[in-house]
Amino acid sequence: MGLSYKVRLILVCIGIFVMVVLGFFFKTLLIPDSFGVYGPFRADAIDEIVEIPIRHGTNDSCFKCHPYEAKIHKAGLHKTISCEFCHGTYADHVADGKKTGVLPVKTGEQITTLCLRCHNTEIKARSEKVIKTVAMPDHLRDQHVKLSHNCSQCHNVHAPLKYINRAKQITGLMEKGQ
Amino acid sequence: MNTATVSAAMVSDSIGSATMLISNYVFPNDLHVHWSMMIVLYPYITGLVDGAFIIAALYYLFDVKSLAPVARFSLLFALAFLCCATIPLLLHLGRPERNFNMLLTPSPSSAMAGFGYIYAVSMGVLVFIIFFVYRPVLVALRKSSRGWLKVLYRVITLDSIDLSDDALKLDAKIIRFLVAIGIPIAAVLHGYVGFIFGGVKANPTWSSPLMPVIFLFSACVSGISAIVFAYIVIAKVKSRPIDHECIVTMINTLTGFFILAFSFEMLEVFSHSYLKTGYHHMVEGLLNGPLAKSFWFWQVKIGSVLPLLLLGIMVLFKIRSSLYTFLAAGVSGILLIQVFIMRWNVVIGGQLMSKSARGYTQFHPQWFDKEGIIAVIIVMAIPFVILFFLGKIFPFWDKDNGV
Repeated sequence: MGLSYKVRLILVCIGIFVMVVLGFFFKTLLIPDSFGVYGPFRADAIDEIVEIPIRHGTNDSCFKCHPYEAKIHKAGLHKTISCEFCHGTYADHVADGKKTGVLPVKTGEQITTLCLRCHNTEIKARSEKVIKTVAMPDHLRDQHVKLSHNCSQCHNVHAPLKYINRAKQITGLMEKGQ
Repeated sequence: MNTATVSAAMVSDSIGSATMLISNYVFPNDLHVHWSMMIVLYPYITGLVDGAFIIAALYYLFDVKSLAPVARFSLLFALAFLCCATIPLLLHLGRPERNFNMLLTPSPSSAMAGFGYIYAVSMGVLVFIIFFVYRPVLVALRKSSRGWLKVLYRVITLDSIDLSDDALKLDAKIIRFLVAIGIPIAAVLHGYVGFIFGGVKANPTWSSPLMPVIFLFSACVSGISAIVFAYIVIAKVKSRPIDHECIVTMINTLTGFFILAFSFEMLEVFSHSYLKTGYHHMVEGLLNGPLAKSFWFWQVKIGSVLPLLLLGIMVLFKIRSSLYTFLAAGVSGILLIQVFIMRWNVVIGGQLMSKSARGYTQFHPQWFDKEGIIAVIIVMAIPFVILFFLGKIFPFWDKDNGV
């Protein structure tokens, strides 16, 4: 090519200008229409998120149909725990106020596994004052019960100390240090 | 270990830990230092770019002739480090491969995204300065090289071999223009890093309008030190003569910038302790407690007072050139470390105090963490690798022009 050095430089400048213009052009093509209506995000995203069906309920939604469990649960130490935490998602059980499915029931070993999600000494999820933790099977040995026992054989899962406190009332026994 | 042995071990650690044990109260969300070593590295690397650019600007714009031997090298040094300036930030976010996205997708929607404009303009200006500065050399190299290197040189020189007086005059004009706009851009580049920290209202050690000034001057110090150090080390390794005039000019410039940098660092501490604003007791406790060693001993005494004395001796007295070179390498080495410690004390030190205003947390660098010591070493090695390959294409020194 017989172009002079100056012309080449001018071509480079034009090239950069064209690239910048193209960059801004493609940027406008790529940015979604509703971007920036309320802030640096896609305004349509709000409607899309609202459309997503709600999967979770509150404890009150469960208590409407389960008054017996509600009474125990509200009085026990587990009153702040969400029903769904152990039983599963509300939407798998109820839709439009009607029962649509059965939530899986935990049995045997599964119960102990579930309890130890929070109550395992190894996890130390919260301080001992907030969540009482135990080591297994030491706890079973200390309480002089069979090592095959499940947590629910001594503890009511909704109110963990319900039976224990009742037993103390009946027998008049005290724990060490009390 | 029971509680008694734990507390005994902590007390024996130092008196500071003992007081912390009794009085310390840190909010749970302040316990962990979120901005760790990568956020120390990014202002450090950006600063090196700035200082190196200053050296080049002194030669190409202000005609400081004695800097000729290092002018070209400092441009390439600045480019190599600018290529990596955003890696620590993006690595901190978990996507280091998006390094250049910061330059390509700037946005005014946040202070950090807005930084992209400044990084991108700096990169553009620097690349074009290097192109015009190297053009005569590249045209000559194009003739003597073969294979893919020849193709590369043809592309970089726009396939023009015009080295007529008119063309060279035009080049010189363009270089002066680009360097002239490059200086304010370089100043904004590092001033902006300081602004990013100074703009964090929630942190009393950062939230100061002095931050951009301190960062800018310390950036110039680290960059000039890096050029002095690299020039001497490369010359010694390749057993080449060292231009004494050049070293003297760089050391004098370094002295000027370092006096300013150190004065402002101390003025900031002084204004904190004089104004005694809101969180003053926390800042004072920080500098005299968890940061006592790294701030007062390493940054101030070893890193600032000692080089200030050495620089004073070098400026005021006549010294043999071999000893002068040795001292220059030593001082610039100390200052490189000083600036790193300064960044550390600002970034990590600033996060050691809790918003509770009643306690300090601790920072333990990890070796194999995503942002650990190994990662720091790797990130700091990348610009040198880039510099090595740049050196294969653009000869650092006049003697290697191959003309």
